[in-house]
Amino acid sequence: MRKRAIAVSIVSSGAVIIAGWNIGTHAQTAQTTEAAPVPPPTRVAAPPAPTQTVIPQPKTSAPASAPPSIPAQPAPAAPAAPAPSNTFTGSSVSTPYGNVQVKVTVDAGKITDVTPLHLTDDGGRSVQISNRAAPILQQEILAAQSANVDSVSGATYTSDGYLKSLQSALDQAGR
Amino acid sequence: MTLTRTFHAMGTVTSLRLRRDDIHDRELDTVESIFRQYDDIFSLYQPTSELSRIADGSLRLPDSSQLLRENYAEAIDWRNTTAGTFSPHRPDGVIDLSGTIKAKAMSDARDQLTLISPTGWLLNAGGDILTSQNTEEPWRIGIVDPHDRTELLCTIRLKPTWSAVATSGTAERGEHIWRHNPESEFAQVTILAADILTADVLATSILSGGKQQLDHATHHHPIDALTVDRNGTILATPALRVHLSEAHSSEGARSRA
Repeated sequence: MRKRAIAVSIVSSGAVIIAGWNIGTHAQTAQTTEAAPVPPPTRVAAPPAPTQTVIPQPKTSAPASAPPSIPAQPAPAAPAAPAPSNTFTGSSVSTPYGNVQVKVTVDAGKITDVTPLHLTDDGGRSVQISNRAAPILQQEILAAQSANVDSVSGATYTSDGYLKSLQSALDQAGR
Repeated sequence: MTLTRTFHAMGTVTSLRLRRDDIHDRELDTVESIFRQYDDIFSLYQPTSELSRIADGSLRLPDSSQLLRENYAEAIDWRNTTAGTFSPHRPDGVIDLSGTIKAKAMSDARDQLTLISPTGWLLNAGGDILTSQNTEEPWRIGIVDPHDRTELLCTIRLKPTWSAVATSGTAERGEHIWRHNPESEFAQVTILAADILTADVLATSILSGGKQQLDHATHHHPIDALTVDRNGTILATPALRVHLSEAHSSEGARSRA
């Protein structure tokens, strides 16, 4: 009887540890879902998500090691010596989540950009990876007639702030 | 030919615009009352609201109305979808549904407005915009420049897939967003989507979660995004970028002519 109680207690503390470990893993996974691991200089880690829709962000600081469940596979694009600026295309690598192929830009021995060239899901369909927001110049988008608008979107104004808002001017104009 | 109605609700001002003048005032009262009903249940500024009574402990969540619990559950779903960068809880743990309720009221108002006028209406609630999907002439929306709020950053002609526009920022109310990622660099985030709840929640989550959440959201949801960071750098999704560049060159050509 006593042995059984001890066994139960061992099992339950084991369960607590496993649960705790799971929680830790979850937290880490949540944090790193989109921030790709910063690739070490000589190899490129496969994108780390089950959704594998990750766009690596070399500038983002990310944990040095990938979450435990994620395979980090070396890609062949591996510059040995520092080069002024070069682009390398890795071969297609099969992962549990589909095929991945990446392009790596190397500048003075450092990886400056990692672009996924091809992602396919389990069914072999291509996965859309192109909706990433990219920089745009204000001069590029400031239309000449930009004051001629029907309504204005901005950070939520308070009832008091409304009177100072551009929307208030439009409403008063009653266009 | 345009009818405008403005009213105070939810701590801000809502303006409703119709491209016609044959609508009776009473019909627009029904739209206004939708906002009041949500305010009466969910406002934390009204001490007698249902949500305020949950916050002060005088009402237990299981005893609350089905509408409140459904809205809470929906907000929790959004928290999970956005990896916690959007949250229906204040840092002190109090349930705060102000991140979804305005958009919910706008969505209900859309149903009512569609009955009143299937086309040609625009609803602006404190800087978040919802429009009729069918419109003869596209609505032109100005996006405020977060670094000079008397100026516009750009103008967007709405398409049916962009009938909702939500902007989150730090400019008007200060740092009122609980930043999930303290390094988040955005001063303003504008989201264009087909529905206002998606647009509003994702704008908040990206402002809070930063670039990482921006990439996640633009990948997993059918949205377009325009962000401005603290240094003034602007980011735009590809479809929006093309749209803005085309609008710019055609406006430029017109002004030269």
